[in-house]
Amino acid sequence: MNNLDAIVAQGSQITVSSIVGIMVKIMMFLLLVLALVMVRQTSLMDKVVKLPVGGNVKLLTLSYFVLMLFLTAIVVLA
Amino acid sequence: MAEIFNAAKQTEEIPELEELEKKGQYRSALGGLLVSPDKTSFESQENDEKVVIMGRKHFVTNVGWIAMACFAFFIPLFWGEFPFIKVLTTNVNFELTLAWYAGLLFYVIQNFLLWFYNVYIVTNERVVDIDFLGLLNNSVNVTQIEKIEDVSYSQRGMLSSFFNYGNVEVETASEQKNEDGRRGPDFDFLSVSSPALVVKIISELMEIEEREHEISRV
Repeated sequence: MNNLDAIVAQGSQITVSSIVGIMVKIMMFLLLVLALVMVRQTSLMDKVVKLPVGGNVKLLTLSYFVLMLFLTAIVVLA
Repeated sequence: MAEIFNAAKQTEEIPELEELEKKGQYRSALGGLLVSPDKTSFESQENDEKVVIMGRKHFVTNVGWIAMACFAFFIPLFWGEFPFIKVLTTNVNFELTLAWYAGLLFYVIQNFLLWFYNVYIVTNERVVDIDFLGLLNNSVNVTQIEKIEDVSYSQRGMLSSFFNYGNVEVETASEQKNEDGRRGPDFDFLSVSSPALVVKIISELMEIEEREHEISRV
């Protein structure tokens, strides 16, 4: 509570929007990590069993990771 | 000696498979059952080992998560109805919507991957069951065709009868116990397409293996 008072005293405002904004940023970052795990796991799955269109599936997960990288950059920098 | 080898090779042909190959059925890469699939191999495959069938759960078993994803897709259109979200600034609202769709896309891709890579493979020598449980765990079960004792299938419910999918149970000589301590099937292929055909092909392979075994003994 003392810390909160200190922040308020310094003129900062804690709003619902700012809290949700931080949570969304953390969530995007976690999704980015999960996307990276997914890319790695897909390449391991493809190593265990090679299937038709397996290459396209790997490309799909890689595209998702790139998209997440782009979106996370937008959300974090916004 | 050469005659014995020729006899062994001749027995390796399965008439049903040839017929299906000629008709061009079961060739779709995203299908529940692929007969003599191209570009399919697995880690421990031997050089002279040929993939006879490869299968996974029937596509209709994905309906649950697809319906869930469709429902979730439309939720951001009703953000305004939630009092908690109403108070957010436009910027944060936009970020929240982006995060929602990113999470939804992750959910869809993950479920698709688990369906796509959870496969069973039947070769002319072995049966391989590959299970991926979540993103980080996997298990690969392998058995020789000659060690299979019994193979059966079951279809329960209206959907499985309508879409022709069911569970195939392969029992081997090895001891395998369920969580409750009872002996269960060693290989359980759940909700696979055309289970009767799968059982028939495995049975034929078992007979071929038996004949080859007898020939080699002679």
